[in-house]
Amino acid sequence: MLSKALRRLLSRQRTDVAGKGQCASSPDAVLSKRLRENEALIRDAFGNSPDLIVREIRFGVSPGIAVLVVHIDGLVNTALVSEGIIKPIGIISEILESERLPLAQVQDMLKNRLILLSDAKQVSDKAGFLNDIAAGKCGIIVDGSSEAFVCDVRGFEKRGVEEPQSEVVIRGSREGFSETLRVNTSLLRRRIRDPRLWIEEFTVGRVSHTQVAITYIKGIADDKVVQEVRDRITRIDVDSIQESGELEEYIEDEPLSPFPTILRTERPDRVAGALFEGRIAILTDGTPFVLIAPATFLMFLTSPEDYYERFFIASAVRLLRFVSFFIALLLPALYVAVTTFHQEMLPTSLVLAIAAQREGVPFPAVFEALLMEVAFEILREAAVRLPKIYGPAISIVGVLILGEAAVRAGLVSSAMIIVVALTAIASFVTPIFSLSIAVRLLRFPIILLAGTLGLFGVVFGMSGAAIHLSSLRSFGVPFLEPIAPVVLSDLKDALIRLPWWAMDTRPKFTGENDPRRESRGLMPAVPNPQADGTLGAKGKKGPR
Amino acid sequence: MTVLEGGKISGRQFMSVLVVLRIVPLTLVFSLINSIAHVQDTWITVIIGTVIAIPIAVLITKLSLRFPGKTIIEYSQSLLGPVMGKLLGLLILWCFLCTSIDITRGLGEAYVIAIMPETPILVFMSMLIFISCYAARSGLEVICRLGEDVFYIVVFVLLLTYVLPYTAMRFENLRPILAWGASNLVPPVIANLGYYSQFLIIGMLVPYLNKPEDATRYAVYAVLISGALMVLAAVALVAVFGTTASSWTLPLFSLARMISLGDFFERIEAGVMAAWTVSTGIKLALFLWAASVAVAQLFNLKAFRHLLYPLGTITVAASLFFFESMVELEDYLAKAGAMVSILVAGVTLLLLYAALGIRMAIHRRKGGAG
Repeated sequence: MLSKALRRLLSRQRTDVAGKGQCASSPDAVLSKRLRENEALIRDAFGNSPDLIVREIRFGVSPGIAVLVVHIDGLVNTALVSEGIIKPIGIISEILESERLPLAQVQDMLKNRLILLSDAKQVSDKAGFLNDIAAGKCGIIVDGSSEAFVCDVRGFEKRGVEEPQSEVVIRGSREGFSETLRVNTSLLRRRIRDPRLWIEEFTVGRVSHTQVAITYIKGIADDKVVQEVRDRITRIDVDSIQESGELEEYIEDEPLSPFPTILRTERPDRVAGALFEGRIAILTDGTPFVLIAPATFLMFLTSPEDYYERFFIASAVRLLRFVSFFIALLLPALYVAVTTFHQEMLPTSLVLAIAAQREGVPFPAVFEALLMEVAFEILREAAVRLPKIYGPAISIVGVLILGEAAVRAGLVSSAMIIVVALTAIASFVTPIFSLSIAVRLLRFPIILLAGTLGLFGVVFGMSGAAIHLSSLRSFGVPFLEPIAPVVLSDLKDALIRLPWWAMDTRPKFTGENDPRRESRGLMPAVPNPQADGTLGAKGKKGPR
Repeated sequence: MTVLEGGKISGRQFMSVLVVLRIVPLTLVFSLINSIAHVQDTWITVIIGTVIAIPIAVLITKLSLRFPGKTIIEYSQSLLGPVMGKLLGLLILWCFLCTSIDITRGLGEAYVIAIMPETPILVFMSMLIFISCYAARSGLEVICRLGEDVFYIVVFVLLLTYVLPYTAMRFENLRPILAWGASNLVPPVIANLGYYSQFLIIGMLVPYLNKPEDATRYAVYAVLISGALMVLAAVALVAVFGTTASSWTLPLFSLARMISLGDFFERIEAGVMAAWTVSTGIKLALFLWAASVAVAQLFNLKAFRHLLYPLGTITVAASLFFFESMVELEDYLAKAGAMVSILVAGVTLLLLYAALGIRMAIHRRKGGAG
């Protein structure tokens, strides 16, 4: 009810923004035939910015036809411009042709023979031309023509492919996405060397013109979901998109939920894995974080490493992660509920120990818990923001003052310190940060409920969260799948992971198009050494 | 007519919510054991009740399958005509609301009795109603998805509760068997069938099944599974508590208290309490959903979600006023309430099947003439 009212309020402004983005095509919108006018137009449009380079060269025999070469310094590869554009136009054109050519032939020669670059297209649209220049392309305008050439000579400083900071694995690829869209798509292409990896590009942002690409494997991904992603991206009409997080808020299913319903990752192997499950990746230029949709809750508790380590260990680690998830969410609340309302649930000696520690603590347990949780959240936020040089100072203050001294001063009990510390560490176990911050936030209302209503409050809060989670959908896929609804065939890769040769089908909701991912009977079997004389394991030709 | 509820549920989810709604009163007061004079025979009465309940469930399901896409409220109108049909619909609606009222009060009382005696009962009841209305607002799909998970949790917790107090079990407590004649068996069978009459809700669920042809099978499974869980409960309770089993207010809760493994794994009654709270929530959500859909269909409303919170409020108020205490509630559930439920279910089925028979006879005669 509340969410509906809020939604109505939030969506009110939508209508008056829409419709301004499109440029009407009028005679004004095309380039002029006069070179001087075009030059003035370009200089005007960029406010005569110092990084705008407008170079005039002459084509053909002297005096020749004036040609403007326009680009932004720093966005283009200057060597490429001089080798591929200026040199052929300025020098070779004179050698090739000894007489003055008509304009049409000049254009033709430029396009077909002189521009020594793989990508050159003709434009006449003024806004498109200016946007291309702003995006780092090189423009060529010939005097007397309203047609310009735009060549891709982009070359700017970019970060290389580095190890992802937020998703570390021990075993597995060290590659992480970088800020450049083309580098990121190439990382995916290197992992999926098949023409069926389809990439579609969109430009989002009226001013920022951010490039957004959606990728999927044609034939595995559901076309309806791909169309849905396309629709949701094209309906965005906004000034700028700087990060995929902004994009996410425009396209997610349930905008008023603390839980993320779109996964974001820095790891190409994770994206590739998701593509093979029939999901769709959304890459945004300028950020290493790639969105994956549809996402399910369990994907947020999964690390790519689960698929590389032996499945027993991977399953155990995964179970441990679920336990940690619940510790991070519930432990302080359970501690408060049990010590305040249900002391009888603990063994007697433990109750006595806790009671002895709490002797002299001036606050009720719920306040103590909230106090320490807030203190820890402050520490954690400070640790992220502070300059690295201050690191040791903060950790000393954090450990000594907030931990040791607070207990000695009798402000908090040491049992509470243990609870808060374990909670904090457990919350770092969640592999995807956007889920772990949702849990951090939810912890506080649940502590309050536990402090007022004991276990009933905890059950109440958890039921509310469970109802909310199971009503969520991510691009049509139930968010809690395969737990609610229970999908037996998908439980093989849920709480535990079965060996790869047993995970033979794709997830039910996203991989319907092409359900089988491997042939049957791939379980390796050691052949009998006496029988065929070979040693070691060979893929058994299993019964069909 | 506009589609009120767009959700689709699977056969397994259908079965799960049916088991959950039958098991909730088991974890609560287990009226069967409270209504029998000599507890040793309880498990036999459960078996008898289960055997009788199977045809009831089958009859309700088969009837609904004859009218694909229609709830019991809708097809009773098309069978009995608008006036009689609406009257019968009101009766069914009243039955749904009564069930909600009973379980709301039951949960509130149990919390006040067992865990937090000084908190006003209204707090527990209104919070429970709030969360159930929230679930019901999210639609049948969400209720059933959670219902399936709750089903697994409840079965797990119940089995733990039955097995772990094995040190305290004395199976000779179960003897003598059938020493007091048939009259001893009648009240618990009636109480049991009273609860099974709540399976009228099948009439609201069948239209939303994604494979309606499985409905009968899963309805029978539901009766069998809940019957098995209750037989085990009866055996475990009597084996542990002997003839005093009937004097416990919350027998299963007390059973969980007996669990102690290695002086460490003990006091899992909180787990029982939690499992049973969520299952009550699911049952309540289901019945509030059914009640509001019934209201919407009776009065030709276009949406049912707005009715949930008002109906919830009525439920809280009524559950405060209908009963004086837990004792009264238990007594009502085992005797008058059970009789009324059986009567409603019986009347509904009789009327609908009679109308169906007459219509088919007329149709056949017309068909023969034409």
